[in-house]
Amino acid sequence: MKGLLRLLARWPSDKALRAACVLGLGALALMVLGVVYGTPLPVVGSMSVAQGFGVVACLLFGLSIAADVASRRP
Amino acid sequence: MTTPFGVLTLASAAVAALILLHHLVARPALTATVRLRLLLGLAVIPFITAVSSTAYGLHRTTERDFCGSCHVMTTHLSDLEDPKSQGLAARHAHNAATGPTACYTCHADYGLFGYPLTKLTGMSHVWNYYLGGYSGWSLERFHAEVRTAKPYPNANCRQCHSGTLASFSNVKEHVALAEELEQNRVSCASAGCHGVAHPFSKTKDELAGGVTR
Repeated sequence: MKGLLRLLARWPSDKALRAACVLGLGALALMVLGVVYGTPLPVVGSMSVAQGFGVVACLLFGLSIAADVASRRP
Repeated sequence: MTTPFGVLTLASAAVAALILLHHLVARPALTATVRLRLLLGLAVIPFITAVSSTAYGLHRTTERDFCGSCHVMTTHLSDLEDPKSQGLAARHAHNAATGPTACYTCHADYGLFGYPLTKLTGMSHVWNYYLGGYSGWSLERFHAEVRTAKPYPNANCRQCHSGTLASFSNVKEHVALAEELEQNRVSCASAGCHGVAHPFSKTKDELAGGVTR
């Protein structure tokens, strides 16, 4: 547990959060493209690649929050 | 795009994008409020966007102009949209109840796993088009070389034409060929029965094929 906390304390929260935001924006853009164009490639992309980006963005966010909390522990 | 799911996708994506852009530009300290805002922008609202865009996408893939958006399907689509066409598929597409989703209605597999299997088959079409070379083929070559992967199942026809009404069971050919129809040894959509579905894409030999046993 302490090892995990030490690892989390070294996690670059700010950078990871910015990366999560960029990935999230990419995911949202792909989902919007699927709706706007409505042709096979954008629609398939919006239901696959976009959701993959979204999941990674979510994980980065979760890790960053956990790291932030861990770094504030006494 | 104007379906409720399409509108929800665009609206929720816009809200989430504003939150994320604000975070990228303003670079605020990670306070509890900022965490909550990021939770909305990176998880809650994008989840709504993902669900609605998936629902939109699944519906969109049933629309006939979606199928017709690949150039090798343009003649199929224009035949369906031609009010004078008397091909089997076109006559079904003229029906207002199934017309807008005519391709999906007739080609979707039925049964317990019909829906996911149909979507998987659709993915193989996308694969063949973009990575299998169909995108570079001429229409003439496509019509000459490409056929359905497996014989068209009569069960798909019988989802609507169940065979229980007198208009079906009084036809002597239906009675005589009942077993063959059941076992898919004779196709409803064959020359000699109701005709091939997309006659413009068939060779003269196929059009004159008679009842297929």
